[in-house]
Amino acid sequence: MTQPIPISVLFPSQAKAVDVEIFDPPMCCPTGMCGPTIDQTLLDLNEMLMILQSRDISVARYQMASHPNAFLSNGEVMKIVREQQMAALPIVVVRGKVVKVGSYPTQAEIEKHLQEAKP
Amino acid sequence: MTQYIFFSGKGGVGKTSMACTQAVRYADEGKRTLIVTTDPASNLSDTFEQGIGHQITQISGVPNLWAMEIDPDQATKEYIDRAMAPIRLAFPAQIVQVMEEQMNGPCTAEVAAFDRFTDFLEEPAGNEVGFDVVIFDTAPTGHTIRLLELPAEWSQSINAASSGSGQTCIGPAAAIQDAKHKYEHALAAMRESGQTSFIFVLHPEAISIKETRRAIAELSKLGIKNYRLIINGIIPPEGAENSLFAARAKMQAIYLTQIEAELPYLKQRMFLLAGEIKGIKRLRQVGKIFFDKTSSKTFVAEHVPPQLATLATPLEDVRALLQPNGHRRTLFFAGKGGVGKTVASCITAVWLARQGHKTLLLTTDPAAHLGDVLDSPVGDVIAPVEGQVNLWAVKIDPKAAAETYRERILEDARKRGRPEKAIAVMEEELNSPCTEEMAAFDKFIEYASQDEWDSVVFDTAPTGHTLRLLELPVDWSKQLDVKIFASVDSSAADDVAKQRFGKVIEMMRDPEQSTFSFVMYPEATPILEAWRAARELGTVGIHPGLVVANMVIPAGEAGSSFVNNRRLMQEKYLVEIGERFGLPVAQVPLLPMEIKGLPMLAELGERIYGTEKVLA
Repeated sequence: MTQPIPISVLFPSQAKAVDVEIFDPPMCCPTGMCGPTIDQTLLDLNEMLMILQSRDISVARYQMASHPNAFLSNGEVMKIVREQQMAALPIVVVRGKVVKVGSYPTQAEIEKHLQEAKP
Repeated sequence: MTQYIFFSGKGGVGKTSMACTQAVRYADEGKRTLIVTTDPASNLSDTFEQGIGHQITQISGVPNLWAMEIDPDQATKEYIDRAMAPIRLAFPAQIVQVMEEQMNGPCTAEVAAFDRFTDFLEEPAGNEVGFDVVIFDTAPTGHTIRLLELPAEWSQSINAASSGSGQTCIGPAAAIQDAKHKYEHALAAMRESGQTSFIFVLHPEAISIKETRRAIAELSKLGIKNYRLIINGIIPPEGAENSLFAARAKMQAIYLTQIEAELPYLKQRMFLLAGEIKGIKRLRQVGKIFFDKTSSKTFVAEHVPPQLATLATPLEDVRALLQPNGHRRTLFFAGKGGVGKTVASCITAVWLARQGHKTLLLTTDPAAHLGDVLDSPVGDVIAPVEGQVNLWAVKIDPKAAAETYRERILEDARKRGRPEKAIAVMEEELNSPCTEEMAAFDKFIEYASQDEWDSVVFDTAPTGHTLRLLELPVDWSKQLDVKIFASVDSSAADDVAKQRFGKVIEMMRDPEQSTFSFVMYPEATPILEAWRAARELGTVGIHPGLVVANMVIPAGEAGSSFVNNRRLMQEKYLVEIGERFGLPVAQVPLLPMEIKGLPMLAELGERIYGTEKVLA
C-alpha cells in the first residue's frame, strides 16, 4: 500500500471540471474553528462557498495532506507553489484558470471571474 | 474463521497478564494463536521472558504461540513517511516542514498504531497459514475508531466535505486514502460478534467501574456489541489474613456487588496474586487459577530480595517543591486515570492550607470526585472549603465550559450576520473534543492567573497534546510569519490569546513557580506510562519535579508471606522509580479504607510531608 495511487482513481471528479477550486495552505482544520482563536476569514470563506454551492456552482477545497495529487496534477499551481512557497497559498482557480494567489477571494471577485469564464 | 479478542482497560489493571494467560491457554489447546500489542507500556517480552520486538516471533516452550510488539514510534514514523513521501518529492522544503509539524500529534500515533493492527485483521493471502486466534493486548478507543471512520466520510465527496461535516481534525487519517478499504474491512470484522470479542479488565474500584462503563458506552455507539469483563485484583483468602488487606477485601465486596448490578456482561473473576506474572510456567499457573478454579495459593511468586537502600526521600526535599517560595506556587498532579491524582492533590492542598498558605484546589477531570474526597461539595464557582481555613476549591466542568465557549462563538457569528445555515455548520464543528480541551484550559488559565493565591493545586495537569495545540498558532506565526489567512481582526485576537497562553505556559515551565508531580503505583506498567507522559511534556519544555508513589504497603505490615511478597515487589519498583525519574519521591500509604474527609487528609498530609510550622 505504499504505491502512489493513480490520479484518475483518486479524483474521478476531475473528468467533469470543477468551477471553483481552492488550494489551501497546510492547516489543522480548514474550518478555522479549532485552536484557541477563531479564524473569521475561514468562516467567511465557508459561508461564501455555501452560497455558491446553493447555486449549483461546483466547489472543491484541496488540502495538501489529504489531496496532494490535486496539487501535483495542476502544473500551473505547482509552478507557483515552487516559486513562492508558503506565500503562494491559498491559490484560487476558477474554471481551470488561476485567479488569485496568496489570499482568499471575496465573493465579488469570484462572481467576476465566473462571469468572465462562462462554461 | 479467525477469532479476534481485544483486551481493554487502564494501565496497571493486569491487561497484559490476562491477555497472555488467555493466549497460552488457547495455544495449549492446539489453536494457532498470535498475541499483538501496540501499547508502549505493555511489555510482552517481560511477561514471556524472551526477546520479541517488531516482528512475529515464536514463543519458546509454547508450540502454537506467536507474539509481536509493534513499536509505536516506529509505526508512527513509517506511517508519516508513507503519507509524506509524495509530498516530500514534490513540494518545497518550507511547506514540507509545516506539514510534518502538523503530523506530530497524538492523533497520528493513534491512527498509525491502529493501521498496524488492521494488518492482522485481514485474511491471509494465498497459501499463507493464518491464525485461529489473534489476541490484541490493547483495544482501540472509541476516539481512534471515529478517526478511522472519518476518511470514509471525507472521501465520499469533496463537495460534501466542504459544506462542513467530517472535517474536524482528521488530517492524519485522511492522509492515506488508499487505506480506506482496509479500515472498512477491519471495522466490519470488529463489529461481528461471532468473530470478535472485547474483554475489559477492571479492578473492583469506583474509578475502574466508571471508566469501564464509559468505554463500553463509547464503543457501543460505534456498533460494537460483544463485551466480556475480567474483574482482576480481588484479594484472595490468604491475603485477607492480614488486617489491612482484610479491610480492603471488605471494601472490594461492595464494588463487586455494584459491578454485578450495573454491568450486565459475561464476567470472570481473578485474584490478586503474591507476585508478578512472568514466564510461561507462571502463566500456566495463572491459567489454572483463572480457568480451572485452582487455589490462588498454587501461584509461586518470584523471589525478590529486600532493598537495602533507604527508599524514602528526605521530607524537606519534598516540602521544598510544594511550598510557595517568595511568589505563588502552582502544583500540577499528572498521571493516568485511577492512580490517585485527586487524592494526592487533596492531601497536598489541605497540607498547604494548614501550613498557612492561601490555597486554591481545582480540577478539570470530567469524572472529578474532588467533592467525595474532601467530603464537602465542590461547585463550579470558587468557594471556601468548610472546615478548613485557607482552602478554596472549584471544579471546571469541561462540557459546561465548552458549552459557554460554543455559545460565545455562535453569538458572535450571529452578530456578524452569518446565515443560519453557516451557523449550523459551525455548531457541528464545535462539537469536538478539541473544543472541550480548549475551553477547559481557557477556564483554568482564568483561575491560574489570579494573584490572590499563595498556592494553586491542580488535579489533572494538561497533557503535552493540549499544550502543543495552544502553542501551534504561536509557533507558526513566529517561524513562518504567515499571516496570509488571518484577517486584521483575527490576528488581534491571536495576539491577545498568545499573550494569555504564553504567560501561563511560561509559568508552567519555571520550576520556581510550578511543580509537576507524576502520580503512580509502584508497578511496572504505571511507571512506564508515567515516564512516557513525562517525556511528552518534555517536548513543550515542562519537566516533572516530584513523583508521588501511591498505595505503598507500609513496611510494618509485612507479616504474612502474601503481603511480604507484595511489599518486596513494590520495593523493587520504588527503586526503579528513583532511578528512572531521578526525582524526590513522596509515598502515599495503602490504607484499609478509601481516603475521604478533611481529618483523614490532614493526618495523611503530615504523615507524607511532615511539618515545619504550627498548624492552622
